[in-house]
Amino acid sequence: MLQTIPADPQSAELPPPKPILQLVGIRKSFGTFTAVEGIDLDVREGEFLTIVGPSGSGKTTLLRMLAGMDTPSEGNITLHGQLINDVPPNKRPTCLVFQSLALFPHKSVGENIAFPLKVKGVDAAARKARALELMRVVRLPESYFDKNVMKCSGGERQRVALARALAYDPEVLFFDEPLSAIDYKLKKTLEKELKDLHRETGKTFIYITHSLEEAMVMSDRIGVMRAGRIVQIGTPEEIYGAPVDRFVCEFVGEVNTLKVQRRPDGTWEGVDVPGTFTLAPPRDGAVLDEAFVVVRPEFMRILGPGESADNRLEGVVYNEYSLGSRIQYQVRVGAKVMLVELSRGRALPASADRRVTLGWDAADAFTLES
Amino acid sequence: MGHKRTNAAIWSWTLFVLVAIYLPIVCGALASFNKSRYFGFPIKTYSTEWWQKTLDSIEIGMIVKTSISIALLVTVFSVVIATFGALAFARYEWKGRKLYQKLILLPIFFPQPVLGLAMLLGFNAVGIQTSWMTAVFAHMIWIVPVVTLVIAIQVYGFDPSLEEAAYDLGCSRTQVFREVTLPLLWPGIWSGMLFAFLLSWSNFPLSLYTTGADSTIPEWLYAKMVAGYTPMVPALGTMATLGAAGLLLAGGLVGILLRRRAAA
Repeated sequence: MLQTIPADPQSAELPPPKPILQLVGIRKSFGTFTAVEGIDLDVREGEFLTIVGPSGSGKTTLLRMLAGMDTPSEGNITLHGQLINDVPPNKRPTCLVFQSLALFPHKSVGENIAFPLKVKGVDAAARKARALELMRVVRLPESYFDKNVMKCSGGERQRVALARALAYDPEVLFFDEPLSAIDYKLKKTLEKELKDLHRETGKTFIYITHSLEEAMVMSDRIGVMRAGRIVQIGTPEEIYGAPVDRFVCEFVGEVNTLKVQRRPDGTWEGVDVPGTFTLAPPRDGAVLDEAFVVVRPEFMRILGPGESADNRLEGVVYNEYSLGSRIQYQVRVGAKVMLVELSRGRALPASADRRVTLGWDAADAFTLES
Repeated sequence: MGHKRTNAAIWSWTLFVLVAIYLPIVCGALASFNKSRYFGFPIKTYSTEWWQKTLDSIEIGMIVKTSISIALLVTVFSVVIATFGALAFARYEWKGRKLYQKLILLPIFFPQPVLGLAMLLGFNAVGIQTSWMTAVFAHMIWIVPVVTLVIAIQVYGFDPSLEEAAYDLGCSRTQVFREVTLPLLWPGIWSGMLFAFLLSWSNFPLSLYTTGADSTIPEWLYAKMVAGYTPMVPALGTMATLGAAGLLLAGGLVGILLRRRAAA
């Protein structure tokens, strides 16, 4: 029997790592405005956790509480089981990489990186050695040691900020959208480097962003925030594959939503477009009278003659956009516009008649509470 | 064509303004080199006699010392008060900040002779004997607001997350101030120091009422113009102007050097 075999410490069957940070019932209000409410969250040691949400969802407030720059109005934050609600940032083994990066403009690259060591009272030679070591880790050339930080490019500044945070040797690193002002291509590179750095250092990373795309690339787990609450938390696969509601679903990207009503016989009737639909059962076995069907554009197909699908809609293509490797079609179905994404190889021929039949299978769509 | 004419207009206007500003100063300097005791153009005989007399005068030496002492003390006190005042003015959100921002600037707009008179009456009322030390206080009433404003401009251009970052990286509050706040405010503080010194150095109306038996350079110049003119008056006036210009020049130079070192 498998159970009788002594547990192999290296096996994947290990219990999930114990939480390093625990948040219980966190609320933060500013006057009458509640920025964050009802947050319960266990951050696992060594994980890369990303909190995503639109602006104003409370993610920055949450991060500031974790870093010690704000104190919760209610609830407890514990680090290794110790209450740290009122521990100031300079006494926490955590470090925040600011959105603005907050590099000291009057200090050189090397002085910026060595700053936490100087504060700790490390002597100048050891500081320099460690700073150079960290510059190697973040891939900054040694010659930059004496360079003015304000003369560095955006990407170089990112690396300086990262190295400076690492010099503090925190157990948990926080990131407040540090990549938001970086151009797309460099951003992709830095995302990968950050992910590599996470693996190399083994530290716990908590990253906040409004870009789910960024979150998907880097994170072990993603928490989606909306109006001060975490609405869903899970692996990127879970967030993408099983969104709990329409908000999460739409946050992931452009989607097609159709409002439907349940008929007594268990089939569904379209509300904004006529038709009868077969749907996957709602999440958690909920019984709904009204629901939203959400179909991602990449799961919507254009049916050729003889092709079948669980659900069909008749429409007219009225617009198409190139997305590089894919093409997005806007298809008018009654008063609704549906989006379909096809790979370039399967693009529609440029025929005069743009009448098409759309189709999707029940298993490729989500049935969500309205 | 039009461009050329515009250029000519700009040049002639600039020249007019420069002449209007600097000609009187040049006249003062020329008057101090007049050998004759009485003022008159054209100057018949030039001499440095009155400059020598000015430099040798014990009375003028004391007056210069008084002016320097007042200006130095005003500089030190105003800069300390104004630095924290500027942080309260521009950096922190607090109840009553808007009111403070208005009240702190009001003394700049008071007519100085009225302010001086009010100070004199105030000192009398509380029984303080006026001397050059009361003048330090009086100057500060007017100079602290100016310096606060000068430093506040620097504070506005400073990202508060820099202080938070330093605090987050392990600094105590004092370390944050020493390592981040102070060095970043330094250009503003430096300009504030120059402003404080020069505004005190050249102040007449406040000194007139509040120095008591002591006398500053502007006061002495005025008194001697009213009664007992000699070319020592324009000589000291020219020296005071040159001193101020020299200080400003040196101050600017230090500023440039520091910036260049920081940029290296």
